[in-house]
Amino acid sequence: MRYGLIAALAAFAVLFASAAKSDDAPKDVKGIYLMSDFPAVTVRPGETSTINLRLHNYDMTPERLALSVSGVPAGWTATLMGGGQPVAAAMPATNSSVSLELRLDVPKNAPNGTQTITVAAQGATSNLQLPVAVTLAKDLPAKLTLTPQLPQLRGTSKSSFEYQLGIKNDSGKKLTVSLSAHAPQNFDTTFTEQYGSQELNAVPVDAGQTKDVKLKVTPPNTAAAGDYKITARVAAEDAVATTDLGMTITGQPKLDISGREGLVSTRASAGKETSVPVVITNTGTAPAEDIQLSGSAPSGWKITFDPKQVDRIAPNDNKEVQALITPTEKAIAGDYVTTVRAAARGESASTNFRVTVTTSTMWGIAGVGIIGVALLVMVGAVARFGRR
Amino acid sequence: MQREGSAFSGLGVVVLKELSDHLTSVRMRVLEWLVVLVALAALYGAIQQIKDTTAEDPFLFLRLFTTSRDPLPSFVSFLSFLVPLMAIGLGFDTVNSEHNRRTLSRILSQPIYRDALLFGKFLAGLITLSISLVTLWLLVVGLGLLLIGIPPGAEEIARSFVFLLVTIIYAGVWLALALLFSILFRSAATAALVTLGLWLFITFIWPVLAGAVAQAIIPPDPRYTALGLQTPGTAELEQILARLSPSTLYAEVVVALLDPTTRALGPIYLSQLQGAVLGAPLPLGASVLIAWPQIVAMIASALLLFVVGYVIFQRQEVRA
Repeated sequence: MRYGLIAALAAFAVLFASAAKSDDAPKDVKGIYLMSDFPAVTVRPGETSTINLRLHNYDMTPERLALSVSGVPAGWTATLMGGGQPVAAAMPATNSSVSLELRLDVPKNAPNGTQTITVAAQGATSNLQLPVAVTLAKDLPAKLTLTPQLPQLRGTSKSSFEYQLGIKNDSGKKLTVSLSAHAPQNFDTTFTEQYGSQELNAVPVDAGQTKDVKLKVTPPNTAAAGDYKITARVAAEDAVATTDLGMTITGQPKLDISGREGLVSTRASAGKETSVPVVITNTGTAPAEDIQLSGSAPSGWKITFDPKQVDRIAPNDNKEVQALITPTEKAIAGDYVTTVRAAARGESASTNFRVTVTTSTMWGIAGVGIIGVALLVMVGAVARFGRR
Repeated sequence: MQREGSAFSGLGVVVLKELSDHLTSVRMRVLEWLVVLVALAALYGAIQQIKDTTAEDPFLFLRLFTTSRDPLPSFVSFLSFLVPLMAIGLGFDTVNSEHNRRTLSRILSQPIYRDALLFGKFLAGLITLSISLVTLWLLVVGLGLLLIGIPPGAEEIARSFVFLLVTIIYAGVWLALALLFSILFRSAATAALVTLGLWLFITFIWPVLAGAVAQAIIPPDPRYTALGLQTPGTAELEQILARLSPSTLYAEVVVALLDPTTRALGPIYLSQLQGAVLGAPLPLGASVLIAWPQIVAMIASALLLFVVGYVIFQRQEVRA
């Protein structure tokens, strides 16, 4: 009776334990198995590849299993590793597994094709065999795609064009993608992070992930109006993706104003109109239209223009107008600053003209007259009062 | 008796004789030494001052004339009261000494007209003054070259030359005045005293009086006074009155000529300075034009003073 109770308790304990263990394993599977998640793999010659193996014991008494690898082609090296070092036998406990790695060193010159390597585990009661098909492929193709969010931008030659580009890594591993762009001459292209100012040459992209970068294109100021094409190119290993980006530069007039032959000084008499030639040059990339001329000068001065406005100046062309400057009557002699301004829609230019005012010589002549009168008085006195 | 023939026959003889008298007289020598020594002192002060100044100046050479170093006044201010002194010293006894020595009738018994005598005396005085002033000018230019070591530009030379001419004209005014008083007064001492007195009055007292007279005629507007400004009307009248004095005229001409940045000699309204590039030098022509009324006034007053003296001399009794 007493022994019977102990046996019943023991049986219950075993049952309870086994019930707890068999939670993650199907109840009807029993035995020791040699398994691999992927028993057919592709490796590249000249590299060391690792195939993960597992030795699982389902509800069996632990058993010593001698491990061996057969069917290894000549020149290859196959090593079974366990816990980081080469092993020759394994012993999985009941309802547990032992992880193994089959490390394959494939020589560079190994021919393409599929080889079957058999991993065997030989024990007292079990004899397990796992054929692993190893396919040699020269290369695993890397694949990239490049997608611009807004492929067509428009602006003036002074603005900068920013393209958002998404780089997708469609290959099975992380790639470092180098970035480049091909733009017309003197266009400046830089890649930066999407939110940041750091310029980039290359960007790492995880397998299957997409990364956004920004391509900033700065056209030269002198870029003529028109459509330009920019090719963005990303490359990693031997995968290349390109995309064409369009850019429309609308031209802009730029005015420049100066005197004829660059001379910005003139002479003027107080109260008298002087005309100064003023040259307006359009150094921009689009025609300037409806150019209004104006000037500012000290109070009492008058500045008008002939003609008052210029209808149109083509790019890199110039027009000459006459600025008519009249200093005030009361102006004292010396140098004065006047400003001449030209304004087209949204674009303006101004320059300072230095006007040297000379006072009228009329009073000088009057002075000579006074001296003449004094001399006449003297001559008259000599004639009238002359005596011996 | 009406004269026959040219009024100027015998002029050359009178001029040469008077000139030699002037140049050999002790009085002339004393005056010359006085002028030269005083001018050298002023020049030395100016050069020391210029050497101490490191600022760049496009008209450094003209600064020789206008720079002063305490306690000495500048070269031009020395000239402005030494030149009248020289002219008066040479001219105060031109005619009355001939009367007193009873040589006038003897000279006029020669084939020399009275006209020629007076013209000759005036010209000889002016030539004497010119000789000493030119010498002085050359001395200044030479010493400036030697001690500063910077050659003057053409503009500076031209300006200082016009300044020399104006100084000779200024001397002419005082010479004519001295000549007039030497005709008016028989006693040389009286003539000298009156001329010197008038010079002192005109040069030192009149500029002060002009302000007082102007304020009496046009009282200053309290609105301007409250702002610390001069009433325009009073200021203008004061200037007109002050310009009756040849010393004021000469000082104004000197400022316009030797400081090329001078733009006007009268009061200037702020509105006239709007947009003006201050400190920009004027060309010589413009500077002369600014000072031209003053120059004209000096020439005309010299001529008129001489004419008055001439008329009085022609009507005088010689034999007395």
